[in-house]
Amino acid sequence: MTMENTQASSLAPAGQAGLQGLRGRLSFIDLMQSVGLLGVILLGGAVMSVLSPVFATTRNIENVLQSATIIAVVAIGQTFVILVAGIDLSVASVLVLSSVLSVGLVQFQGLSPEIGVVVALAAGVGIGLINGLAVTKLRIPALIATLATMTIARGLAYIYSGGTNIAPVPRFFVDFQAARILGIPAVIVLTLVLAVIAQIVLSRTSFGRSIYATGGNPLAARLAGIKTERVIVLAFMISGLMSAIAGLLITARFEAGAATAAQGLELAVIAAVVIGGVSLFGGEGNIGSMLLGVVLLGLVQNAVNLLNVPPNWDSVVSGLVIAAAASLDVYRRNYLEAGMRRKVIATKSARTPKT
Amino acid sequence: MSAVGPSANIRPAGGEPRNILVAHGITKGFPGVLALDNVDFDVRSGEVTALLGENGAGKSTLIKLMAGFYAPDRGEITVDGVPLQADPASAHRIGVATIHQDAHLVPAMSVAENIMLGRWPGRYGWVSRRAQKQKARAAVDRVAPHLNISTPAGRLSPADQQLVEIARAISEDSKILIMDEPTTSLSPPEIERLFRVVEDLKSNGLGIVFVSHWLEEVFAIADRVTVLRDGRLVGTKPIAELDHDKVIRMMVGREVREALHKPRPVGEVVMRVDKLSRQGVLDDISFEVRAGEIVGMSGLVGAGRSELAACIFGIDPYDRGSVEVGGIPIRSNDPKAAIDAGIGLVPEDRRRQALVGLMSVRSNMTLSIFDRVTRYGFLSSRIEEEIAAREMKSLAVKAASSKVRVSTLSGGNQQKVVLGRWLARRPRLLILDEPTKGIDVGAKSEISELIVRLAESGMAILLISSELPEILSLSDRVLVMRSGRISAKLSRAEATGETIMSYATTG
Repeated sequence: MTMENTQASSLAPAGQAGLQGLRGRLSFIDLMQSVGLLGVILLGGAVMSVLSPVFATTRNIENVLQSATIIAVVAIGQTFVILVAGIDLSVASVLVLSSVLSVGLVQFQGLSPEIGVVVALAAGVGIGLINGLAVTKLRIPALIATLATMTIARGLAYIYSGGTNIAPVPRFFVDFQAARILGIPAVIVLTLVLAVIAQIVLSRTSFGRSIYATGGNPLAARLAGIKTERVIVLAFMISGLMSAIAGLLITARFEAGAATAAQGLELAVIAAVVIGGVSLFGGEGNIGSMLLGVVLLGLVQNAVNLLNVPPNWDSVVSGLVIAAAASLDVYRRNYLEAGMRRKVIATKSARTPKT
Repeated sequence: MSAVGPSANIRPAGGEPRNILVAHGITKGFPGVLALDNVDFDVRSGEVTALLGENGAGKSTLIKLMAGFYAPDRGEITVDGVPLQADPASAHRIGVATIHQDAHLVPAMSVAENIMLGRWPGRYGWVSRRAQKQKARAAVDRVAPHLNISTPAGRLSPADQQLVEIARAISEDSKILIMDEPTTSLSPPEIERLFRVVEDLKSNGLGIVFVSHWLEEVFAIADRVTVLRDGRLVGTKPIAELDHDKVIRMMVGREVREALHKPRPVGEVVMRVDKLSRQGVLDDISFEVRAGEIVGMSGLVGAGRSELAACIFGIDPYDRGSVEVGGIPIRSNDPKAAIDAGIGLVPEDRRRQALVGLMSVRSNMTLSIFDRVTRYGFLSSRIEEEIAAREMKSLAVKAASSKVRVSTLSGGNQQKVVLGRWLARRPRLLILDEPTKGIDVGAKSEISELIVRLAESGMAILLISSELPEILSLSDRVLVMRSGRISAKLSRAEATGETIMSYATTG
């Protein structure tokens, strides 16, 4: 066999390949994303527990995780969209629309709380469907299509609620917020369950595989017989559904249908997803490291609070973390490609082909 | 120094031509392929040098090197003794202008602004409109006096846009003008006008490189012909020493061995394409492919072969005609329908059209057979691994494991992965579009042998290839395309390098 066919084992990436990829620098860059993220979280945690006596308390950690759940649930949906190389700006608006519907339908229309919940979730899925169709059928860029639905959904939430919180909420929201499973707040357990389901769907079903293929190379996916447009629409519907679920969580936390909540949440979610190693170019990332991104962003927020940093600085710090994560994403891609090119040229020019 | 104005540096036409650009010992490799191998090339003032070669011979790479887009791995290019840097801007400064196949103009800007693009005259960032108009007018008058220089470039015909690009080259005082297939989108009168401009530039001492697939044009305009084959220089000869057949022989090379071909039993018609037409792309294409038959499809780049494959496989829509598999028409513009009907496609650009680089070898192989690797709604990694291992073994794919990213494999092994995907599905008809492009010699012959084995097993094969040896050694019949039509249907006996090239370039 010629040298051309010698597969360079040092190029084997980590990603799903696991430990065998630990060799070689490319795998190192890949691992930076998940293991590195965990390292940063642990290191930051260690530093914080020295700096602040409050940080390492169960109460504080639970608090950080609990407030991260809303972002986490929305981010799970957003991950599906970003994996197909899209983006969903409408998530925060869907969240508040779901929140006001879940309470308002009971308060204003006198419907049963169950119907309120179902309609809230259906609204989220419906807006996701509209987003997906606008992107695939009308070929509007996802950024613009979801900017439109973001504005519309927020507007509808204001109109419906009259711009104020709707209270009181049905009984089970209050119960859910107080509930604990094995000592862990139920909202955290629910978030983890959703994450596990999402990860299984992504890694173990043909739909999940189609998501990665569509995001990684839409043309190749289509030519392989994947209905890429359908895959994209479904990704947006999942994002809508997850945002609506997050809307119910916020209803429970605030004990109100909150029309004015979650301002700018879509950007925090996108930031967390990118920090968590989901590539904005599509086709790359997983729920596990994405959640680490959510936690890291939550910890930065928490650290800024505990250390009495002037409140306006927290957005500067978050911004720097986002910039660092995004640079790593671009760097990693370029490095992969450049490494490939060098390798092949080196093997090719070492010999002269026969004609 | 002005290249077109009367200048002391430029000898009158007819004297001894002087080398302006000299490329010496140029070697350039890309992932998976050595595009140029120790090539010498020169361009002389006052001469048109035609650069010829089959698809993939290395013409485009040489042009891009001269235009400063790439740096050669080995060798050097000099212009009037000054080494050329790998930077398009410095190539322009040193006097090399390139006219690409499609015009590179800013559509919303006027002709004058386009001609002076990036060199707008004026001071302190202010553009002097008067100076701009004067300079642009002077350049336009030489090549296209009929043009109004205030017209937005986007409103001009392709022919006029090309003339604007030439005017830009003149205004830059270029010494070398490289024209990459400048006539593809021009009508005959426009070509004549272009040739008059070229003659005029030539007599003013410019060195011109002319790339064309049409030999008639080469004989009409060129003074010398340089032929490349497989990245190597075949030779440079004055046009007077050549004729049509000699040029084709230089391009095609020695006779190719036909060892691979053994007669095979041919079965039922598997696919029938009937009067397929697509506006401006395909014109009334009809043919059939039978079980166990390898039908070669030859032609030059742009003849419409890949476009035909795209219509058959449902990637692109078509206006008229039909595609039938086993007598049943298949829905147009739906790759899934084509796959379900039993068609497989190994596309020309595997990185862009077939593989998801971020995914593993295994996942790429099972991308079209989800139904077979799913159990109880979940993908079974055991079944996936079985299939991947089987195909990797039968195709001798060299990879550390089935779990490495497909983008880390060499070109030949990536192509085997694409083939493996279709072998796992066993289509009735497999369309192979340039299956050995950018693949080294060893893997090439493995893939050729595989194609024969598939045909022997009864699969119908449509083999699109620009490599004549491949077409000649594998095909049972050869279809030649030119300008969106089938210009010849040749039996195995009729098909030779010369007949195919003849129908492809002049038929």
